[in-house]
Amino acid sequence: MKSLKWIILALVCILAGCSHAPEPILYGKDACAHCKMTIMDKRFAAELITAKGKLFKFDASECMAAFLKENQEVASDAKSVFLVCDFTRPGEFADARKSFFLRDSSLSSPMGGNLAAFISRPAADAAKKDKSAQIYNWSLLVNQSK
Amino acid sequence: MKSLIVKIAVLFLMTLPVSARTIVVAPGTPVSSLKQAVTIAKNGDTILVKKGTYISFNTLIDKELTILGQGWPVLDARFREEVLTITASHVKLDGFIVTNSKTGSMRDFAGIRLSNAEFITISNNILTNNFFGIYLSNCTHIELLHNRITGSNNIENSGNGIHLWKCKEVLIKENYVTRHRDGIYFEFAKKCLIQDNLSEKNIRYGLHFMFSDDDTYRHNTFKNNGSGVSVMYTRRIAMLDNTFIENWGSSIYGVLLKEITDSRIEGNHFIRNTTGIYMENSDRITVIHNDFISNGWAMRVLASCNKDHFTRNNYKGNSFDVTTNGTLKEIDFDNNYWDKYEGYDLDKNGIGDVPYRPISLYAQIIEQNPQSVMLMRSFIVNLIDKVERAIPSITPESVKDIKPAMKPWKK
Repeated sequence: MKSLKWIILALVCILAGCSHAPEPILYGKDACAHCKMTIMDKRFAAELITAKGKLFKFDASECMAAFLKENQEVASDAKSVFLVCDFTRPGEFADARKSFFLRDSSLSSPMGGNLAAFISRPAADAAKKDKSAQIYNWSLLVNQSK
Repeated sequence: MKSLIVKIAVLFLMTLPVSARTIVVAPGTPVSSLKQAVTIAKNGDTILVKKGTYISFNTLIDKELTILGQGWPVLDARFREEVLTITASHVKLDGFIVTNSKTGSMRDFAGIRLSNAEFITISNNILTNNFFGIYLSNCTHIELLHNRITGSNNIENSGNGIHLWKCKEVLIKENYVTRHRDGIYFEFAKKCLIQDNLSEKNIRYGLHFMFSDDDTYRHNTFKNNGSGVSVMYTRRIAMLDNTFIENWGSSIYGVLLKEITDSRIEGNHFIRNTTGIYMENSDRITVIHNDFISNGWAMRVLASCNKDHFTRNNYKGNSFDVTTNGTLKEIDFDNNYWDKYEGYDLDKNGIGDVPYRPISLYAQIIEQNPQSVMLMRSFIVNLIDKVERAIPSITPESVKDIKPAMKPWKK
């Protein structure tokens, strides 16, 4: 009987482990799920949690967009969680669906996309340097890289 | 009349060398900083900087100057700015200690920045504690020779040791780069030669190529870097006679090749790496005369690769010679030496009479079920590999060395 209690406790712990919570990126250790590069830059990293709770880490939002291009069902799933680092607060995740993406030639993002994410639109506008810079929202960005 | 013109011409020519002055910079003298010297200098002058420590908050070099350090003068930005920026062409900078550039996430601060310039030589300098070491943007015909570049080894505050962006025809020779993010980083850098450098203990890659075509790197050593060397999205690269040694850990490779085409990997040594070469979406690559010694995986070739040719390589003491994740097409192996080959050579022509299959059954099992790695070197694994070798049924039929060499290749 005592052992049963322990088994139930263990099961509860295991089930509790299956959460959809984001996992912090280990900079300098974790590799990008798309381009295989080691994730280094806190300004550009991104993370994806699928509806089933599978977690993918990326070194840049352009990598996450490219990964979604190859995994359409994840991209269109409303239960997928997309997180991007806010450029103005390096290392802090923001909801990609609510973020603004600035493509500006002065941004040297890891995969050459010149792309950074901002949670606030004014911050994205303020970071503009290039005249031809453009700001997208999440759905535009994903559709564009299709 | 004619002789007069000649005389005038001769006189004019004689005055030219005289006009190129040498300006001496030393502490406690009227000219006590490099900035002052550059202000009073004219194109073609030489600035000689004597031993001492000079504060340099982004000294701008916008004239054609030869700047020489004597007795290792120190240019220190005290973490407040970049140290030096060169925007003029025909500049030579030699013999300095360049140190303590600012760090930070909003701009790429560098020890020595070269911007929109050509014909510049940066030689015999020691760079320490800079965010980026030498940063080249939009430059052509540059020589970086014999510099020692040491970063802070701090993940947050480390840029690349040598960073090239949109450059052409750059020679990088006999430099030592350590403790930076990437030792040498190329983005849109074309027709460059990287030779005789040592890049070790960098946080990420020893060498990192992105979108850079027609480059050659030869006779370099990449040792103990966070993730080895990465060559991505490039064409026509020659990798010759390099040594890739001790790049250990998960997702760490001697060389990571991704979307690279028409390249040649020749005469390299891959020693004690987790994975010697990892290839993904890489087409028309020739891998010849390389040594793969004591690696976990000598090569991991993904099914997305096409028309690659592996010949005359030595595979010795690797846990796995080749692994893949699917069906390999048009990947040719011939004349390689495999120490696991157990065939025979009855006609004594130096070539084994039966083909060698480099992908073992156990490697296939691990591919499907990574946890089974714990059975490595167990009796059962040896048994199934032996059975599979004798009667191949599961390992891919297409991947085989039809002419395995009986003896290792010598240079």
